[in-house]
Formats: sequence, C-alpha cells, structure tokens
Amino acid sequence: MKKTWFILVVVCSGAALCGALVLLYILPLDFREHSPVQPIAFSHAVHAGSNAIPCRYCHRSVDKSLLAGIPSVMECRACHLYIAPESPEIKKVMHYWETKEPVPWVRVNSLPDHVYFPHMMHVRAGIECSVCHGQVAGMERVSRTATLKMGWCLGCHRLHRASIDCWTCHI
Amino acid sequence: MKRRTFLQLSGMTAASALLAGCQSKNEKLIPCLIPPDEGITPGRATYYASSCTFCPAGCGIVVRVSEGRAKKIEGNPAHPVNRGKLCARGQAILQELYHPDRIGQPLKRTGSRGSGEFQKITWAEALGLLTVKLKELQRGRTTNSLAMLTPQLSGSMAALAGGFMRSFGSPHLLSYELLAPDWLRRATRTSFGQPGLPFYDLAETRYLLSFGADFVESHLSPVQYGNAFGRMRQERDTVRGHFTYVGGRLSLTAASADRWMPARPGSEGALALGMVRLILAEALHDNAALAAHGLKPEILLGRLKSHELPHVAGLTGLSKESIAEVAREFATTRPSLAMAGDGLAFQTNGQESVRAVQLLNLVAGNLNRPGGVYPAGASGGPDSSFGDLAALVRTMNAGGIAVALIKGDPRHAIPPATGFQGALDKVPFVVSFATLLDDTALQADLILPDHAVLESWGDVIPQSGSRQMVYGLIQPVVTPLHDTRQFGDLLLAAASELGGGVAAALPWKSSRELVRGTVRKRFASTRGGDFDTQWVELLRRGGQFDAGTKAATVYRWALAAAFPAPDLPAFAGDEMQFPLHLQVYASTAFHDGRGAPLPWLQQLPDPMSTVVWGSWVEINPATAAGLGISHGDLVEVTSSRSTLRLPAVIYPGIRPDLVAIPLGQGHKGAGRYAAGRGVNPLELLVLPEGSEQAWNATRVRVARISWKGDLVPAGHPQGSYRSDLVGI
Repeated sequence: MKKTWFILVVVCSGAALCGALVLLYILPLDFREHSPVQPIAFSHAVHAGSNAIPCRYCHRSVDKSLLAGIPSVMECRACHLYIAPESPEIKKVMHYWETKEPVPWVRVNSLPDHVYFPHMMHVRAGIECSVCHGQVAGMERVSRTATLKMGWCLGCHRLHRASIDCWTCHI
Repeated sequence: MKRRTFLQLSGMTAASALLAGCQSKNEKLIPCLIPPDEGITPGRATYYASSCTFCPAGCGIVVRVSEGRAKKIEGNPAHPVNRGKLCARGQAILQELYHPDRIGQPLKRTGSRGSGEFQKITWAEALGLLTVKLKELQRGRTTNSLAMLTPQLSGSMAALAGGFMRSFGSPHLLSYELLAPDWLRRATRTSFGQPGLPFYDLAETRYLLSFGADFVESHLSPVQYGNAFGRMRQERDTVRGHFTYVGGRLSLTAASADRWMPARPGSEGALALGMVRLILAEALHDNAALAAHGLKPEILLGRLKSHELPHVAGLTGLSKESIAEVAREFATTRPSLAMAGDGLAFQTNGQESVRAVQLLNLVAGNLNRPGGVYPAGASGGPDSSFGDLAALVRTMNAGGIAVALIKGDPRHAIPPATGFQGALDKVPFVVSFATLLDDTALQADLILPDHAVLESWGDVIPQSGSRQMVYGLIQPVVTPLHDTRQFGDLLLAAASELGGGVAAALPWKSSRELVRGTVRKRFASTRGGDFDTQWVELLRRGGQFDAGTKAATVYRWALAAAFPAPDLPAFAGDEMQFPLHLQVYASTAFHDGRGAPLPWLQQLPDPMSTVVWGSWVEINPATAAGLGISHGDLVEVTSSRSTLRLPAVIYPGIRPDLVAIPLGQGHKGAGRYAAGRGVNPLELLVLPEGSEQAWNATRVRVARISWKGDLVPAGHPQGSYRSDLVGI
C-alpha cells in the first residue's frame, strides 16, 4: 500500500515539474522594459520630429551594414557645442566627452544571437524604419513597438514574398 | 540554526536565484567615443591579403578585420602555394596578436640574468641603450664583435639584416632554424651543382616513395604538398597514386601510405642504393635519363657491388621480397617520385643518404618531368647554418662577441649539446626582439618588443611550394595593439642613429618603404604604368604570383659529383647502456616550438596520439611490456647527456628499437600557456663527433617511474591504431 502511494507521489510531482517547465516556456517571461530610462533624456521627438533630421543623418550605416549604427559621442558634441549648450542634459553629454567615456545607452530593440538580421537588406528593399521601430519621430523616450518574435518576422516576410527558409535568418 | 529555518532559507535562496536567472535585462548599447576611421563601417568586415610567416612555406592568407580588429584567418585562394587552404598553425597566428602576455613596451633587465626582473623604459631610452653599445664597438674598432641571430628570413628582411651587418662590419650573422632544410640545399648543390630546394610534382605522380619526408605535417611546404597529395590520390579518374613510406616511426604522413617500411634508423640511404642497384641490375632504369646526365649503368653497377639485396635487407631489417617489390614498382610505374625528409637527413650519414635518394630519382628518370622533381622557383638560401652556428659558439666562447641581437628563441630551439646556451651567457650584452618573454628574452639585457606578424610590413619568398618564383607581401591588417616596434624599423632606426656608412647603406625610413623599394625594383621594370597603382594592386592581391616560370632551370647531375656513399650511421651513447634510438620530430601543432605559446595549438590534439597540452614519449608495445611500462605511465628517458621525465604513449606505429618525442614544449618562458609545460627533447641530444644536424643520432634508455604521468589525451586512439600498416 505504501509503495503505491510512493509511486503516485513520484508520478504526480514529475507531472507537476513538467507542467511548471511548460508554463515557464509558454508564459511571456520577457521582463525587459519596453521603454527603458536612458542615461541622457535624448528626445527623438525633438530631433527627428520637430527638427525633422532624417534618420540616416545619425544612423549612418543602416544601408551599408548589419547594424544601423549610433552616433559617437564626438558627433553629439559637434552640434551641441553651439545648440543649447547650457541645457542640463547637454551638460551630461559634455561630461561624458570630457571623461572620455561612451554613453551607456540602454538597448530597446534586441534580437537573440541565433538570428541574423541585416539592416541594410531591409532598408535597401524599401522597408521604412517605422515598420519595425514605430513612429520614433513622435517619441520622447523610445519604446519598443513590435514583439520581435519569429511569427511577427514571418508575417512580414510572407506579406512581401521574402524568403521564409530557416537558413535565411538562422545561419 | 534550526533545521527547519535552514531548509526554508536555502529554499528561498534557490528560488530567488532561479528567478534572477530567468529575468532578462535590457542590454547596453555602447557607441564609439570618436567616429571610426574613413572606410570602416561598424558591422562590416574588411579583408586584407597578407602572408603567413609561421613556417618558411610562406602561404598566402586573407585576414577578416571587423571594426579594426583581426577576427579570422583563411588561405588566399589566389596564392599558388596554398590555393586557399591553410593549416592550423597559420590560422592560429591570430593569437600571437592577442596574446595576453605580449610585451607592451621596451624592457631593461634590473635583476640578475634569468631572474625575470625587468623595468619598463621608453623607446627613446631603449634605442639610446642600443646605439650607445653599437657606437662603443665602432669607436673601439671592434665592429666584428656584434652578432645577429635570426630565423631563416627571406626577401627584404633578409636583405636588411644582411645589409646592416655588412655595413656595420661584422661577419657574425646567423640565420638558423632547427628544422631548416640546409641538408637538402647542400645535397642538391653537391649532386647537381646548384643550390635551392626541389619542387615535387606530387599531384601528377603515380608512385610516391617518401624516405622520412613528413610532407603532410611539416616538410618544406605542408599545405601545398598535403593538397597535392589529395589530388594525387583522388583527382584523376582512372589513377590513384600509390604511396610507400620508409621510416621508423608511423607519422601522420606515413599513416596515409599504402605500405609502411620501418627501416632501421640511419639505413634509409643504403636502402635507396639497394633499390638503385636492383633497378639497374634488372635493366628497369631509364636509359635516356642516365645518358642525359652523363652516367653509365655499368659504372654505377660496379660502384654498387656492396649493395646486394641480402646485405641491404640485413642493414635495414626489412624483408628482401618487400625491398625488391617496391624497387620494381618504383621503376616500372611512370612517373614515380622519391622524397627525402627529416627522418633520414638528421642522421650522421644524412647528407649522403639524401643524395642516394636523388640518385634513385635520376635512375628512374624522375628528374625534370611532370610527376617528378623540378628545381623550385625560389633559389638560394643558407645551406651551412649549422657550421655557422658552431663557428659562432666558438667565437662567443673565446669572448669575441660583445653584443648579440637576437630575433627568435634560439635558447629553446638550439640543442644544448652545441654549447650555444653556455656561450651566449658569456656575451656581455644581449638584445632580444621577442614578442613574449621567451627563454631567450628572459636571459636578455634589453628587450625591444617586435610587432606581431599581423601588425608588420614585409615580404616572403615561399620556399619549395611552387615551380614558379612567387613573391608574397606582408602588410599590417590592424593598428598595433601595444607600444611595440617592428624588428626592421628598429634596425633602420639604429642605422640612422649610427650614421656614416651604415646609414648610407640603409637609406630607408621604415620597413614599409623598404618593402616598397623592393617591389619597385622587382616589378616596376617589367610592367609599365603608375607605380602607386601597381603597389596598391599588389597589396590587394597579397603579392606577385604570376612572375612567370623562371628561365628553364633543370637538374643535371654534376660531373664532378662523387658517388653517394652513406656510411654506417654513428650514434651517440653506448649500445648496452642505452639500447634505444631516440627520434625527435616536428610537432604537428608547434613545428619546432614557435607555436607553443598559442593556446589553440596547445589544445590541438596530436593526430596520432590525441595528446593535448603536454609532451610524451612514444614506445612500441613490445618494448614497453619488456620494461613494465603501460599507457600514461611516468617514465624517465636518459641519454648520456641528460634525463627527462614525461608520460609514455604506447604506440604500435614505431619500431621496437626506437622511441620518439615531439619537439616544441618545455619552454621556460613564452607566456602563460607554454611556460613550464612538457619537456624539450633537445636537452637529451648528444651530437656524435663531426656530425651536423644529427638530431636523431642519440641513444637513450627508458625506465618506469610511476603510474602518474598526467597524460591528457583528447580521445581513445587505440581503436584507430588498428591499421594494416602496423605489423612489426
């Protein structure tokens, strides 16, 4: 009798463990912030919105490289030596430059290492930045607008008749 | 604490650790401080063509560079020597660049020699120290007491080192490498009256007979010959070339053979002559070839009276039938090809044995023929560096050297039996151009750290890998990581400081200018057009590869050449006291030891024993059983000179009267991965009287110490030893 109970308990706890693991897999356990606080309150709404600076003015390598590229501290400083040098946020930028430290921006959109995502191919195919990044020109603080899950990628690939072969992205 | 509280607490800790592990955080996105240079796009790689200088083969490489960092090295597909292939050693030179123990700035010795106590100094101070010493020599009119030791350089750097020493007024320039094919150059000069190395047309041959030439691992141009061997076996639809290997140890090359003939050490030359005699006696020789070389079969046969088959069989320990069979196959299969390698060359009779193999090629009509042997495109090169070494040791011992400039690590790579290490101790001022604190640098007075190859300018003329003259360029692919300076630049800087004749002889400002000058002299005359465009184009391709076949040089037996007559080999050590022969061989990973500082190569399993990160001695199972040694035991190998302790590998692919130790380990310095690891078998070597480069002429005895050998094999190779070849 004792033995039956023992087996039952083992089976139950095994099932519970499996269930917990499945739950762990299904649950959206993405604790990353969608709109993290940045070290400097950089406003895309001001730069890209009111001042209408084109995206590629700063994200220069977007049509040449896998990475869109973010401007170096020296480039931020080059403009802000003359534009609003007294604002407290700009002073932070100058402080980074003086201490020769790069600005530790917090990543908003990120893909796992096993995904090959080249910016240049998408930009050259005529996909607008806003398709994935949302209306950045209206954002005070950038926030993630897309899920960046595989189903979301495939939806767009199907729509534009791009390849949906595994090896296209998982190389 | 109560049991209950303890369990609660530990449960909570585990749960919080689990949760923290699951929680993903936003990563940081770090921009550049200063925008990258023109032409660099973040995320986009740039590829630079250059040349590998790990071994004298001089293969072409292509380096992938991302964001100004070298990331990966592959073979240059346009290069005729390696055709886009590259060996593990070539791939690993990336780690020379990023080695954590690289010397970052000049060092001056503060403690006693060998204490490893150095003080960091500036380049101005370091160059000052060097030029003061050199000027002292000039003032005292003792310029001939300057010595320079380098590896066997080629191209502009060889010319620069030579020019520096000549204009300074010293004859003591030694280009020395342990495994340098001086023996082959010397034998070729004696037999054919011309220096230079052969080019073996392996890909086209139908019958390959290698006398101890391990061309897959280390011989002359391993990538070229490894690739050609594959083509010999598989490229032709109807022919699969046959391969017979002669040598006492089953190397990786030998393991690829169809037949293995484990001849007694030092008897290979006699075997070659026995085959020559049999071919002539049975009239299987190439009459036209003999006539073309001015030789008569009757006269040759008369000379070979003593090499009757039973006698040769007795000398070599091989069966009469197998020798006769191989000789007949070799002579009747056309084209056939015989190679002579380290295995027979590093004996006391090596020189003549190599010539016996050359005669075998001649008799079978293999010289200057497709599928045979041609002179290689690159001519020249040192052919008596061992003699130079002995002379330099004598001069140093007599106090004739005041300043020694050393590139490379001769303290590790020269057998102590030559007396070099002791003689170098007597030199009052030693300058090392090392990148790591290697054995030589540890004992130096001043260290002027060199660039890594991937930061340097230079050129290389590949030896033996091509029938054509090939010229490979070396260009920096990254900005130097440390405050180092290239060897060539330092010589030029010293020359301009010295002024006078030295500065006039070496007018270049940098190694780059020197190489550019060489290229201008070599190629500008042959083609028209703007030199700057040509220069950029040559750098883009990695050198000049289609310099055209050189004016038809062919081999012709020199009339004055003596008949090859290998003596009986002499061995150092009493046969009763030291019953086993010792063979040292180039390690697949480290070559002669220069690869040991690189962890990728330490981690590369030896292809036959699968051992990593250490040294070992290979012993035949029968011999080991007799001595009570089993796989992995710690054993002591003793020669009449020294004793080493290392683990044993029981290896059926070795003659019972032979033991073998790979070269390359046993460094005292050379960074954290090499220092104190394994043993250096060169310490055991004893050189018999009057011998040169006789690295395999030492007798040893082996005794078991304990079961604790600390052998680290990467697999269980016993299964793969089941080969048809092994059957002694």
